[in-house]
Amino acid sequence: MTTEKVKQLKIIKIILFPQVSSTDYPGAWAGYDDAWDMQKFIKKFFINVVSLTDTDIEFDMVGLDCSLANAFRRILLSEVPTMAIDKVKIYNNTSIIQDEVFAHRLGLIPIKADPRMFEYRSEDNEEGTPEDTLVFELKVKCTMNKNATEHATDPDELFINHKVTTRDMKWIPKGNQQELFKDSICPVQDDILIAKLRPGQEIDIEMHCVKGLGQDHAKFSPVATASYRLMPVIELTRPYLGEEAEQLAACFAPGVILVEEIKGQKTALVVNPRADTCSREVMRHAHLKDGVKLSQERYHFIFSVESTGALPPEALVCEAINVLMSKCRLFIREIKENQKDKAEGQELK
Amino acid sequence: METPRSEKDGPPPPKTSAMVYTCGECHSENEIKARDPIRCRECGYRIMYKKRTKRLVVFDGR
Amino acid sequence: TPQVSDASHDDETCATFVLHGEDHTLGNSLRHMIMKNPDVEFCGYSVPHPSETKINLRIQTKGPSAMSVLEKGLNDLKKVSKHVLDTFQVGSL
Repeated sequence: MTTEKVKQLKIIKIILFPQVSSTDYPGAWAGYDDAWDMQKFIKKFFINVVSLTDTDIEFDMVGLDCSLANAFRRILLSEVPTMAIDKVKIYNNTSIIQDEVFAHRLGLIPIKADPRMFEYRSEDNEEGTPEDTLVFELKVKCTMNKNATEHATDPDELFINHKVTTRDMKWIPKGNQQELFKDSICPVQDDILIAKLRPGQEIDIEMHCVKGLGQDHAKFSPVATASYRLMPVIELTRPYLGEEAEQLAACFAPGVILVEEIKGQKTALVVNPRADTCSREVMRHAHLKDGVKLSQERYHFIFSVESTGALPPEALVCEAINVLMSKCRLFIREIKENQKDKAEGQELK
Repeated sequence: METPRSEKDGPPPPKTSAMVYTCGECHSENEIKARDPIRCRECGYRIMYKKRTKRLVVFDGR
Repeated sequence: TPQVSDASHDDETCATFVLHGEDHTLGNSLRHMIMKNPDVEFCGYSVPHPSETKINLRIQTKGPSAMSVLEKGLNDLKKVSKHVLDTFQVGSL
């Protein structure tokens, strides 16, 4: 029973609806001390960054419960703030794209500005201050290109300014923003196409960026994706030899199973379960599935976070953890105040 | 969807008298007064288009 | 605005706390930390309505007050997060 329990706790069998939540709570398993122990946690917990680029990070987080891993993931999606365009003042728009559609489109453009440098704008604050608002201008007018060759049909040659991109958005520093940010404020990509114009059409717009959360609107979400998967575990309970070895390898993602010549026989070896997609393809082959055990490690999370570009991905993960900590702090303070009020109430009696 | 808000202190629309319209055929601009015939002075075309408001309109980017 | 409130009655070992402005993010992780406490007999949470951002957190203990158990749960969760943050910062440098 001992080894059985340990196994049950660490491993999730792959069935149609796997039971991912843990059951190791005090009192649930006789003879085990499942009480919370910080030292035990610190001992077994580790993080390993697998890859890191300007926008993407993949890391392994091992030794914590899925409720916490899920909390970090959820916070990344909806509770880490960013700056995004929220108010669009349209002075002129004679293009064929409608005002409201255009405004919505502008809202979704990722803005390269550190949200930690800004305050939230309050409800009653209509105009905004340099502390909570970034202003952009978009003034584009399309004209005929007088120098175009006679039989030109390419709009790039015929017209000037016919493609409106994020490159045309001009940041207007307010107050001390120029000293504070130099020229670092701009859209994340400068080649996002936002509208097309024809000669005579014109766009004249002022945009106000504010700080917000993904739970309010997806445009404020700092990530393109933030997800985790569990480390796959593949066990072979019998040897797979010869032709069968090749068939087995073909059932998994490339690199998961290695077919090696051992004692003159082709033999299947599990070499990289991490690369597996958990497709369960092998279960469709009656003659192969009897010797394969597919499962996942319960406490090994492979996180992948893709930033939209406002903040580097490692900073986003740190911010997400900070958000969870400040939630805790907030409620602890609330409880303390509650207790103080109660104590004062009793003194009065 | 929320209705856009118009700026109250924006430039008021020019009262009655002359309005500028664009010809549907030759795209030339025509000033047409209240009881004038609706007809392009350049090409005689009778379909005229009204210009976009000069008033400021504010939208939510969402 | 987050706020802890509970129905006040004589038995301090049982309480339902209403956490305003919270959802499964804090609800499930806090539930897990509280259930890890051996003094706790029962802990569970629910989202009464999906369009109201609040959760009900129920705690029944084997002795100590539910409020103190909630505070310990929050403290444990904060400490875990701190350790995860420190470990991550070392790992991602």
